[in-house]
Amino acid sequence: MNMMSDMKSATSCLLEMCDEHFELEDYQSGVPRWCTGCGDNAILAAVQRLCRDEALRPEKTVFVSGIGCSSRFPHYMKTYGFHGIHGRALPVAEGVKMARPDLTVFVNTGDGDCTSIGAAHWIHAIRYNMNLTVFLHDNQIYGLTKKQASPTSPIGTKSNTTPRGSYLEALNPLTVTLGVQNVSFVAQAADWIPEVLFDIVKAAYHHKGLSFVRIIQRCPEWLPKALDPWMHDPNKVLLLNHANGLQASAGLSRVYKNQIEHDPLNIDRAREIASNTDIIPVGILYNNPKVPCYEDLRHLDKLRTPDLTRAGLNAELDKYTVWPQGAEQKVA
Amino acid sequence: MEADTQAHVAFFLTGRRPSEHLDAVDELKLRPALFAGYRELTQLRYDFPLVLLAQPTDSLYVQSLSGLFDTALAAAARGSDAERIRKHALRLEQEIRVLIAAGAGGPLSALWEKAAGRLAKAGDKSDAGSSLADSLRRTRAAIKLDGELADCDAALPARLLQHAWSAVQKRKSLAFRKDLDRLVLKLSDILKADFERSEAGRSAKHLKASVGSGFGDAFDFDAMSRMLAKALPKDEFPESRRKRIRELLAVLGAQQFYPSAGAPAKKSAAARPYSFLFDSCADALAAFRERMPRLIELAKAIAVAELEIDGQYSEAKHDALFEQFGANGLDPQDLAPFPDYLVCVNAEKMLAEEHAQLMEILSSGLPIKVLLQIDDILEDSPDGGGGLSSGMRSRQIANMAIGLNEVYVLQSSSSNLYRFRERMLRGLSYRGPALFSVYSGANAAASDLPPYLMSAAAMESRAFPAFTYDPSAGPNWAARFYLEANSQVDLDWPVQGFAYENEEHQRVSEDLAFTLVDFVASDRRYARHLARVPREKWNGSMIPVDESLTRERKGLPDKVPSLLMVDADNVLQRVIVDERLIREARRCRDMWHSLQELGGVHNSHAEKLLAREKKAWEERMQQEAETHAATAPVAATGAAAAPEVASAAVEEEPERSPDVAYIETPRCSTCNECTTINAKMFAYDNNKQAYIADINAGTYAQLVEAAESCQVSIIHPGKPRNPNEPGLAELLKRAEAFQ
Repeated sequence: MNMMSDMKSATSCLLEMCDEHFELEDYQSGVPRWCTGCGDNAILAAVQRLCRDEALRPEKTVFVSGIGCSSRFPHYMKTYGFHGIHGRALPVAEGVKMARPDLTVFVNTGDGDCTSIGAAHWIHAIRYNMNLTVFLHDNQIYGLTKKQASPTSPIGTKSNTTPRGSYLEALNPLTVTLGVQNVSFVAQAADWIPEVLFDIVKAAYHHKGLSFVRIIQRCPEWLPKALDPWMHDPNKVLLLNHANGLQASAGLSRVYKNQIEHDPLNIDRAREIASNTDIIPVGILYNNPKVPCYEDLRHLDKLRTPDLTRAGLNAELDKYTVWPQGAEQKVA
Repeated sequence: MEADTQAHVAFFLTGRRPSEHLDAVDELKLRPALFAGYRELTQLRYDFPLVLLAQPTDSLYVQSLSGLFDTALAAAARGSDAERIRKHALRLEQEIRVLIAAGAGGPLSALWEKAAGRLAKAGDKSDAGSSLADSLRRTRAAIKLDGELADCDAALPARLLQHAWSAVQKRKSLAFRKDLDRLVLKLSDILKADFERSEAGRSAKHLKASVGSGFGDAFDFDAMSRMLAKALPKDEFPESRRKRIRELLAVLGAQQFYPSAGAPAKKSAAARPYSFLFDSCADALAAFRERMPRLIELAKAIAVAELEIDGQYSEAKHDALFEQFGANGLDPQDLAPFPDYLVCVNAEKMLAEEHAQLMEILSSGLPIKVLLQIDDILEDSPDGGGGLSSGMRSRQIANMAIGLNEVYVLQSSSSNLYRFRERMLRGLSYRGPALFSVYSGANAAASDLPPYLMSAAAMESRAFPAFTYDPSAGPNWAARFYLEANSQVDLDWPVQGFAYENEEHQRVSEDLAFTLVDFVASDRRYARHLARVPREKWNGSMIPVDESLTRERKGLPDKVPSLLMVDADNVLQRVIVDERLIREARRCRDMWHSLQELGGVHNSHAEKLLAREKKAWEERMQQEAETHAATAPVAATGAAAAPEVASAAVEEEPERSPDVAYIETPRCSTCNECTTINAKMFAYDNNKQAYIADINAGTYAQLVEAAESCQVSIIHPGKPRNPNEPGLAELLKRAEAFQ
């Protein structure tokens, strides 16, 4: 009887017993066409594991993507998916969420898709802060079109479009995201540390608002050695720990000794950490659950009944009076 | 012993008044001395009357008139004429009080007009008149709320509680309606979608109707229908589901627990919403039982509808489950969205049968809230002799209900109800039974004091202490029981300063305890237990009641308990009390003590524990002091052995032989390199991370190759198992990097 408000009713307990249970296979669809060794596989494994652990109902889950290697992601999930057009994954996902707030919406986008052609949508999606989980698969190269430099390619990257090496400093998706108004969740993972990758994917899913996860990802085909310095020297990875963020496990701490405490509510410190490119920070940089979601701000606190829709339409149409043919003369 | 004292003691022991020494008090219109200042309540600013807000919010449903004026004045009385506005507004407040005391009622706005009219009439028509109008206009503009005024009278407990209850039910009703409308809309949408996809839905006729008249001729609906019919979905909408949804809609539409959105006027009696307000426990209980099947049906329909809308209803799983639904009744969580019952009963009118029903309600955990109004707690016991037994029975129901452990119990006198307004709301929102035991003080036959004073006196004298017991507040008494509303809660009786003028016109002040006897003395039925002592006979053997209670009587008493009272002219009188009342006062004090213990005041268990701990602590200190004294001269013999190095609880890695091949599975990034080389040797686990499934399914060369191609270098090839494998020397060299 005590603390009854926290207790579940017998009915909901019984119904819970009837809930379906899922296996990893329930979310797998087809054999990924990604190259062997590709970091996308690690992300796929982590996300499928999340779906299983959270018992996400496949018919209530949507993966939206743009164009690129990473954007083939929805094909490999046995859920709803939308393999969209280049750079437009986020607007499509926002539309889905707006119309169907009951769905769980994930976005898979690559460094080209998000930070180049989709940059405008990216900035505004952060500002709108809708409840989406966004994975930026950042392999620092255009892979699907066989090696062209992307905005996140490190300066000097030799590619088909930059045979003498790229001329510009790489864009830092973390600092850009952390600079946008209304940002609510920013994390960074590396595909070769699957344990943290999974923890971050999980935290991102549980965050209400737009969670932006940049996943640094190897491309064994086009930039095979690019990330070796960081992969082979665990001290070049900085794990971020906090009671309100993640806590590195004992096993992980044996390998990755370079760790700091970082409060995910401290945005200034988050920006500082994100700016460092010599060392890859891994963990939750920023997490503020209090930022309002656009869909909540715009939520109509009324039932959308046919009458309501009709009244709205009529009111809208009544703004313009369309006279039947020949009526103008009579009125005049 | 002097003759006077002797007469006093005789009265104390027997209750008989020898006329030459003592006077009867019946005709003196005495009241407790501490009440001298409360003769004209309309002149005072206190909690009453209350404004029962017409538009209550979540937490605010009642306001005190004085509080309302204070807030308004804080906003309106500013600048140079602040003082004038304040003066005028407070005069109006007083005028409203006078009207209410004279029996007027109605909303604040109406009484405001009336009172303002009377003030204007009383005042002159000069400048002062217009400034009065200006003050009132400005104050009025700052009062945004309105509602019925309620004074502290016999009707107050039921009025206030019903008002609060209505506010809670209205909130529930809104939430429930919103939910219900959503369910109905979504269920209808399913049926509509089903129809649109059916043959009839795609017929030319229906298509034509959906376009409307304006452009009816512009389309060939037959052709359109033919095309759409071809695209009819193959999967049939199951008939059983259609039927189920129709039934759900019927149940949801016919519910009578909350008023429906449409106009209720035309509905027949069978479809009218239920009433949940009762004046008898038996009726409420009968109604609850009668409506239970309908309630279960509705709760079930809501649960099924939610599943249907979510597309989750599975006949295989849920049919059986819902067949049994509610067989054992519903638990409080399931009942929570439905209305609560409110029963208002008067203790005096309750028969034994009704008492039994009340206990039944309280002990069965039903969502029924009961107001037990008690108008008289000093009812004489049937066997005479001045005992308070009958009133005691009503008073004790609240204590008994606490014993049931899951009843929200609120006991308070009327005068304190405004202070308990949030606690009343909490009780009404509690999921389970609640008992509101309220003493109204309205027993005109017994006392000349107004109900407000009587009820305040009952609370002050511990005759009717105020407390709440909230089972939802926490797991223990400290969290659940609240006694602090009573004044000076740690004392037996509250003590107040009392000042008067003596024969020499000097101001004398003393502290007076307000005891049960003071309260009982206000009741004319107990006048025979009191005797006035003429001033010239006052002597040192008369001691205050509270003091006499602390004395244990052994043998013939030499002191007589007395109390100070004032007569109609506010002249101080001293009255002695007989032993009968003293006995009652002692009983009342003992009951107060046990309440104190429940409230954590002078708790005997805690005090015992404290004494034990204190003793142990003192002994320990003593011991330490002695050892210290003994060892002090000796040079310190080195600090105690250095604390042992705490062995860090480091997770041990499993012991591995460097010769056996293995994969650091948790670090695997699922890149498919190894499984591409040999899918039998390498496999993925539950989390899609690689491990060596069968070391014998491949060659050492494949192991080494996999180790080399592994993106995260987590494959350790170990030593070859087949010594005859070709090219081993070279493979071993390549494998060295991964051991």
